[in-house]
Amino acid sequence: MIRLAQLQEKLWPIRCVWLRYFDVYRKNWIYGVVTTFVEPLLYLISFGYGLGSMIGNVESNGIQVTYRQFVFAGVVAQSILFQGFFEAAYGSFVRMYYQKIFKAMASTPITLSEVLWGELLWDATKGTLSAATVLGLGTLTGDFSPLGSLIALPLCFLGALLFSSLGLWMAALSETIEQLSYPQYLVVFPMFLFCGVYFPLESLPETLQTLASLLPLTALLSLIRSLTLDFPFQPQAMGVFIFWLVLLLFISRDTMSQRLVK
Amino acid sequence: MSASLEVRNLTKSYQRKGHPPFVAVSDLSFEVRPGEIFGLLGPNGAGKSTTINCLTGFYPPNSGEVLIEGFNVHKEPKKAKQHLGVCSQEDTLDTDFDVLDQMIRYGTFYRMDHFEIVKRARFLLETLGLMEKSNELIENLSGGMRRKLQVARALISNPKVLVLDEPTTGLDPEARRVLWHFLTENRKLGTATLLSTHYMEEAERLCDRIAILFEGKILDLDTPEALIAKHIGNEVIEEEIRPGVFWKRNPNLEDVFLKLTGKSLAGGEHA
Repeated sequence: MIRLAQLQEKLWPIRCVWLRYFDVYRKNWIYGVVTTFVEPLLYLISFGYGLGSMIGNVESNGIQVTYRQFVFAGVVAQSILFQGFFEAAYGSFVRMYYQKIFKAMASTPITLSEVLWGELLWDATKGTLSAATVLGLGTLTGDFSPLGSLIALPLCFLGALLFSSLGLWMAALSETIEQLSYPQYLVVFPMFLFCGVYFPLESLPETLQTLASLLPLTALLSLIRSLTLDFPFQPQAMGVFIFWLVLLLFISRDTMSQRLVK
Repeated sequence: MSASLEVRNLTKSYQRKGHPPFVAVSDLSFEVRPGEIFGLLGPNGAGKSTTINCLTGFYPPNSGEVLIEGFNVHKEPKKAKQHLGVCSQEDTLDTDFDVLDQMIRYGTFYRMDHFEIVKRARFLLETLGLMEKSNELIENLSGGMRRKLQVARALISNPKVLVLDEPTTGLDPEARRVLWHFLTENRKLGTATLLSTHYMEEAERLCDRIAILFEGKILDLDTPEALIAKHIGNEVIEEEIRPGVFWKRNPNLEDVFLKLTGKSLAGGEHA
């Protein structure tokens, strides 16, 4: 009981920061809904139904599924990547560099470390909301296992936390907002295109397959497909996922702190 | 009376690639008592903002300590900052909120009760002439209003220590006068105020005591009158203000600064 109270006490400042973001989201809810949900839905309709009706079935990891099922799972991971990364990269750059509210909040009893946790957890929340929409739709259309979709939610949150950390790290390294285009074009888009979102990794040359398997989006996607489409569970994917999550969580907060605190 | 803010032997240097560390402030010691307005007077680059970043707990010092109401701001930041209100030199207003919501949001960071925050926010906005703008977005405020709002936000928790970093820079004379009046009234409530400024008139008018800061060191620390008497005396200063036009005036802190450093507060060398 005491431990729970202590934990609540420790988490209270982070919750305060998270609520600040939630309030902004709530105030501009139309903008929030459009930016969070429309993009994955467009991808779902275009690739899931449009391209899906032409392709029929695909086989990956020895399992045969419809292309729509395959892409639905891909769009879950892609929405986590995009929402997590873009909100954290561009959003936190604006908040750190232009609005300077990281510093303003850290002048109160809330510490900079707590401010950054609040930032990451909010960014991850947005990514999870987006992914949850796709998971819900996939369940409603009968493409996903309902139980698997439910179990996938915490994984989606951790995935969003991972890509938010990547975004925060990039924001901390960028001198100008334009420089965020480098990780966007050189890291995020290649991951989006070559980690198995739209086609099975087996279609790629072996070297590219090996490279892709080391990337966090491939690992996340493998775990999501295991849960929602009963693909075989790959322990190495879990290892890669945890490795990137822990590394990026540490490095992003450390780099941002170093940038702000001289 | 014990000090609300104590700075003891504070030294801060910055690492530079390929160069020796740059010592921004060196061995600073001073204290600010309840109800006192204490000035840090110095030109740009003297170390005022570094000092403030250290004493608000944002920058760790290389040595020395900062105590707010007896709590070390670097070792017990939460307890120390519960008593601290900060108005930074840069505009740190949260442009995602309107004026009143911004005050409320910051009040929650101090764990204030919602009703108490709203009451306090309305009082501060009223006092600083911002009540009519309470539902406006920040982008609709003039520069002077933004500055006043930043001061109001720093006071939302009714802090025992108020730190103002160049609060009137860029303000028109009217807005400056409103802020000066507000700070003079606020001191009566027992708030210990640290005011960093490079405006001699502001320091002389508001501050009970002043530390003259130059190249990271305190050159002297005393009341404005004592500083002038000590370094300049009672002599009347005669200046050529335009070619062939001379004017006589009483000595001021600018003369003290010039005498101590050979430079003016604006940063120029003395001819």
